[in-house]
Amino acid sequence: MSLLSPNLYWLALPLVIVVSIVYSASRHEAWPRIWRRAIRLSVLIMTLLVMATAVLLFFNTQV
Amino acid sequence: MRSPYLAAFLAWLVPGLGHYYQGRRGKAILYAVCILGLYFVGLAMGDWKIVYWRWINPFKYSDKFCLYYPGQFWVGLAALPALIQGTLSYLGHEPILWGYLAEPPQIVINGLHPRLSKLVEIGTIYTTIAGLLNVLAIYDAFDGPAYSDDEDEAQSDTQPAAIGPTAGARA
Repeated sequence: MSLLSPNLYWLALPLVIVVSIVYSASRHEAWPRIWRRAIRLSVLIMTLLVMATAVLLFFNTQV
Repeated sequence: MRSPYLAAFLAWLVPGLGHYYQGRRGKAILYAVCILGLYFVGLAMGDWKIVYWRWINPFKYSDKFCLYYPGQFWVGLAALPALIQGTLSYLGHEPILWGYLAEPPQIVINGLHPRLSKLVEIGTIYTTIAGLLNVLAIYDAFDGPAYSDDEDEAQSDTQPAAIGPTAGARA
């Protein structure tokens, strides 16, 4: 399982993408805007996730 | 005139069906693929044993309460068998539909984590978020999107769309 474990992190990616697409589709009706906002939101959520993980990892190595 | 209440009900029943009923077929396909895709992938990750319901008092037996099902329920027909199976079990009947989404025996539930590890948790998250995302889709079917087609970026931050039951009041 330890060899597979790092791959599990990638399972966050489809979740983030689907959340972004569905949220954008619920807010907008024009397709170009839906896709544009979905990409933007995906990047934002992934950035926040990576930042939060980095901060938690930093503190985790200090204790 | 399409009924927003019927559209919302259909959107709950099958993600995207309410939008299909409204003639918004692109969105219907998008919601169906995204929400049902997320739900069934999550369900498969948990070996089809992570969506079930049992009728118990959540204040007395909080550890046995199916906390995730109230979220998964919003996927509609795909999660509804769990409620039916839980009710049948509560009434002392045997499960139907070959036990699909019936509560697994405790020994099977206990064996899921050692066998599948994190996939059980990730599958539970996938199925629950799929249900919660369908709440957004249901609201979109009922009230329309927040912003309309033709408004530009600047207007889109302030001007709501003229779709849905409250469109007249907003337009």
